[in-house]
Amino acid sequence: MKSREELERIKEETLAEIRLRSSQGCPRIVVGMGTCGIAAGARETMLAIIDELRKRRRLDVTISETGCIGLCAKEPIVEVNIPGQPKIVYGNVDPSRARQIVLSHIINHKPIQGWVINVDEKKS
Amino acid sequence: MIDISLHLLDLLQNSAHAGASSISVLVVEDQEHDSLEVVVKDNGVGMDEREKELALDPFYSSSPGKRVGLGLPLVLQTAQMAGGKVSIESAPGSGTKVTVQYRLSHIDRQPLGDLASTLVSFMAGNPRVNICFLYKGPHGEFAFDSEKALQGIDTQYLGQVGAICQIEEKLREGLAKAGFKPDRGGLLFEVPRGAGTHQRGNPG
Repeated sequence: MKSREELERIKEETLAEIRLRSSQGCPRIVVGMGTCGIAAGARETMLAIIDELRKRRRLDVTISETGCIGLCAKEPIVEVNIPGQPKIVYGNVDPSRARQIVLSHIINHKPIQGWVINVDEKKS
Repeated sequence: MIDISLHLLDLLQNSAHAGASSISVLVVEDQEHDSLEVVVKDNGVGMDEREKELALDPFYSSSPGKRVGLGLPLVLQTAQMAGGKVSIESAPGSGTKVTVQYRLSHIDRQPLGDLASTLVSFMAGNPRVNICFLYKGPHGEFAFDSEKALQGIDTQYLGQVGAICQIEEKLREGLAKAGFKPDRGGLLFEVPRGAGTHQRGNPG
């Protein structure tokens, strides 16, 4: 980063990207894909989520990823953002849990309490 | 990490973290020279000499506040176990190129794993990063360019399940045509709960 203008430009670009990606009232699923997540099986978790959404014809859901958030023991970690609802973070999400989360939380709007590791009341 | 494709995913994540907008990936299985080579080249921020040396140190991370960074050290470990090596070329501002070499027939070489799954999951999470992928195997080769594959898809739909499914189909089809077989079963290999914890816990 060299100048104030550049900083402004990065801010604009990032904000535009955030607006785009959190757009239009569609649910958004974030999978932790740091080294810890990958080693714990995050890739298969993400593919299971994509496959389950495809089967259930929810092609509008956005998939995203993030790095290590410091809870490596709980990986694979999956965060579910549904507009107007609290942001919910699940831990130890293997492919079979991932499919159940898609069905129960995304399709039927019923979070699976037992697997939740954090709830952010701030509505997304 | 239980196979090379997972290491590749980790290397791709490093590139994305370095702000790369374009990454080229080369995977070459060369039976004649008994070598397996994985090359990841990006146009990210790059590293200076000091960072380049520290990159292979497990107790160094470029992320502020983190005291460990295991990605590259694990790659190095598995390469060395299979009679190979890791070399990094990088300079600030001109991106980074990581080359990982293995002895193809070495008994401790990890399986290549499922390359298509790696690429699909990376592109799903990073729809704005352009990926050029080339696989050369004993039975054929396959080239893939994410920019071409995503042509015609409106940018507002990038990262959505619909767009991801299109990429996935193209990748799996192309790799299969080139004679590539995922070593750990096909689409959506699922580890049963509780099983395979030894493997998963093993950093190598």
